[in-house]
Amino acid sequence: MALGSATLRDRSGGDPAIALHDVSFTYAGQTRPALDHVDLHVPRGQILAVMGPSAAGKTTLGKLIHRSIPSFHRGTIAGRIELFGADGTDLGVADVAGRVALVAQDFESQLFSTNVLQEVAFGLEQMGVERAAMRERAQRALAAVGLAGFEQRDPSTLSGGEKQRLSIAASLAMDPEILIFDEPTTDLDPEGKQEVLASLVALRAGGKTMILIEHETSAAEIADRLVLLDSGRIVADGPARELLSRVDLLERHAVRPPELATLAHRLNLLQVPASIDEAVDAVRRERPMIARSPSPATITAARSAPAPIVLDGVHFAYPGGREVLDGVSLSIGAGEYLALLGRNGSGKTTLAKHFNGLLQPQAGSVRIAGASVVDAPPAELAARVGYVFQNPDLQIFADTVRDEVRFGPENLGLAPEAVDERATTTLQAVGLAAVADEDPFVLSKGERQLLAIASLLAMRPQVLVLDEPTTGLDYVEQRRVLDLLAALNGAGMAIVMITHTPWIVLECARRAVVVDSGRIGFDGSLRDFLASPTAPEHANFVAPPGSHVARRLGVEPWSLDGILGHAEDGG
Amino acid sequence: MNDVSLGLYIERSGGLQRLHPTTKLVAMLTLFTAVFLSDRIAAIAPLTLAVALVAATAGATRNLWRLRLLLLMVFAMTFVLWSLFYPYGEPLVAWGPVRISAPGLDFATGTALKLTTFLCVGIVFLSVTKIEEFAYALQRVGIPYKLAFTITLTFRLVPVFLDSATSVVQAQRCRGLDFAGSGPIRRLRLYVPILVPVFIGALRRADGMAIALEARGFQRVGGRTSLAPYVASRADALAAIAVAGLAAGYGWLWFSGWTAR
Repeated sequence: MALGSATLRDRSGGDPAIALHDVSFTYAGQTRPALDHVDLHVPRGQILAVMGPSAAGKTTLGKLIHRSIPSFHRGTIAGRIELFGADGTDLGVADVAGRVALVAQDFESQLFSTNVLQEVAFGLEQMGVERAAMRERAQRALAAVGLAGFEQRDPSTLSGGEKQRLSIAASLAMDPEILIFDEPTTDLDPEGKQEVLASLVALRAGGKTMILIEHETSAAEIADRLVLLDSGRIVADGPARELLSRVDLLERHAVRPPELATLAHRLNLLQVPASIDEAVDAVRRERPMIARSPSPATITAARSAPAPIVLDGVHFAYPGGREVLDGVSLSIGAGEYLALLGRNGSGKTTLAKHFNGLLQPQAGSVRIAGASVVDAPPAELAARVGYVFQNPDLQIFADTVRDEVRFGPENLGLAPEAVDERATTTLQAVGLAAVADEDPFVLSKGERQLLAIASLLAMRPQVLVLDEPTTGLDYVEQRRVLDLLAALNGAGMAIVMITHTPWIVLECARRAVVVDSGRIGFDGSLRDFLASPTAPEHANFVAPPGSHVARRLGVEPWSLDGILGHAEDGG
Repeated sequence: MNDVSLGLYIERSGGLQRLHPTTKLVAMLTLFTAVFLSDRIAAIAPLTLAVALVAATAGATRNLWRLRLLLLMVFAMTFVLWSLFYPYGEPLVAWGPVRISAPGLDFATGTALKLTTFLCVGIVFLSVTKIEEFAYALQRVGIPYKLAFTITLTFRLVPVFLDSATSVVQAQRCRGLDFAGSGPIRRLRLYVPILVPVFIGALRRADGMAIALEARGFQRVGGRTSLAPYVASRADALAAIAVAGLAAGYGWLWFSGWTAR
């Protein structure tokens, strides 16, 4: 195991904050261990990032340190865990309450008060802190995450990023020595991610020991040290900066490497550029052919097939709420691949729910395949436009994967043989045929997402609308979903995707539509979107580094793939 | 997600919202008792009127209006059932087991009014009392902290689960789930695709919440403090007098037998 100098640095001296000696854990009812002979020492004050594929044991590691294993999950533990130099093997969550804090991905279930200040004070009330000190500590914790001034707000009215920061403040107020973050930014939009990352950076100075479990390398970049877990074992351990440049290693363990690291790796650059400027210089210097090669003709020609979905002057407001859509006109053609972009609360999900009649316009019209959605039966609309919700667990209910997929075609009134035939071919298409008879709840998050898509595909829609289909998936699972969508699109299905992930937009979409305060702020080709001086900002879209480098080099398309494509062509 | 908050509490800077939590809880319990002990329409109607007035001053009529379907259904169901099957009195109409009588109609109206008023008292209470105040007040009347907190958490979670149920219904409608024109048995089966995800989601959330509570010291024994300094004011004294007057008045009426039918 390679331990860099950053790893060994102990800011306060003395015993490590956390020491795991040959620790294994197997959940009750499972045979494969979730953690398998793990040795890990975390010095006080260190910021440790933990990455790796889904089901690698990352969350289990966090819960063992937090002691919610064994307090809330049954299973078999082996080995020895020390916290602050003392044996912690027999401690429970309640024993370490206030000293070890866990901020989970699902911030909704960590908030239970009707007032922000009250939420932060909750732990202090339990500890019996005096009222004056309580107020002061709660306000200091709120200020630390940038929520000063929010004291009297109702947490249910906050944005995702604000809720997650509130949940951090609630832990912080108790002044814990160890803070564990389990995918704190996964469910957030780019604004929320930035806010939470900024809070984490601010916490660095506080000298607390932090463990940051993440899928995205942008979050891991703030860490001193990175541990890669796979199948319950530590497969790499070293300074974060060093490991994040090892592209093969990261990809092998389902982590999407930083774009500039990939660029350096694929083009055999001497070192990983530290900035976009450096990257542009390095490519010009070391691979001059790329910069000079002519651009291939970009595909901008619009398809002329009849549009399956046409919206005209759509207005919509939720009961008792303000107007969410304010005169939207849009048509979606056959075989398109469209990214629906917009800030949090811009109305893009509300708009998408009009595409299959889930919501009906209060003014204006929505026509699907030429017919108005008003009073059309749900099954008929569902057969034309499939809508995949962000969270697959909102729809999975059947006893087997096959029955789950059969549900849609059954609702269409097809004969049992036809339903079976559709279930079988669809499961083959999405790569889930091998688990057709399994209980859906034993599938991984990625497989459940594929199942959700399959259950709509079995209805053979012409258009598939997906709300954040890659959220919470590791890189390998994301690839599986995106490859499936590309294949469907290649076969002529129109894809409409709501996503907050810029590289996915660049890689997949041909058309971008930006929803801005309930109106269409931009509608055009992806290239025009990137070239627009205002549209990316209105969508809160931050182009990834590879895109900037490609643009500076004059290479199209403006993405990392664009540069790498040229390298293959003859650069 | 909708912009509309699903909780009942209505933020107001003054009035009933500012009363001490214990005052509000005791007032609710007194009203509950008075309604419970009254069987005569003449005894219940003033209470219904009082609740309506309180609701109007506290801005809680908005919540009553939002829940009008529930209130109407409770009233209508109770009225119809009791007026058709009341076993006493001279029947005006008799048809098999169905017998409508004048005392039956009277009893049905009274009971329907009683149940609806009961519900309204609860809705108005939740409209003017924050969940934390509710928990605090329960403790003040002798309920142990953890039990009080858990009881009030239930109220807080109802809107959360309703919200998740709305999403699940939408997700299944996307797969062609359609309640229109199906018989009662088929309709029951149609609820499975909705109940399973809602139930599993609820369990998952309850689990996450239990961990979060415990990590923030919920299991600690003794020595708790409270952030909000609840202080009784002159308004509380006035409210206490009104509540005591109501309790004395209805207590006396009840002992005299007037509230009975």
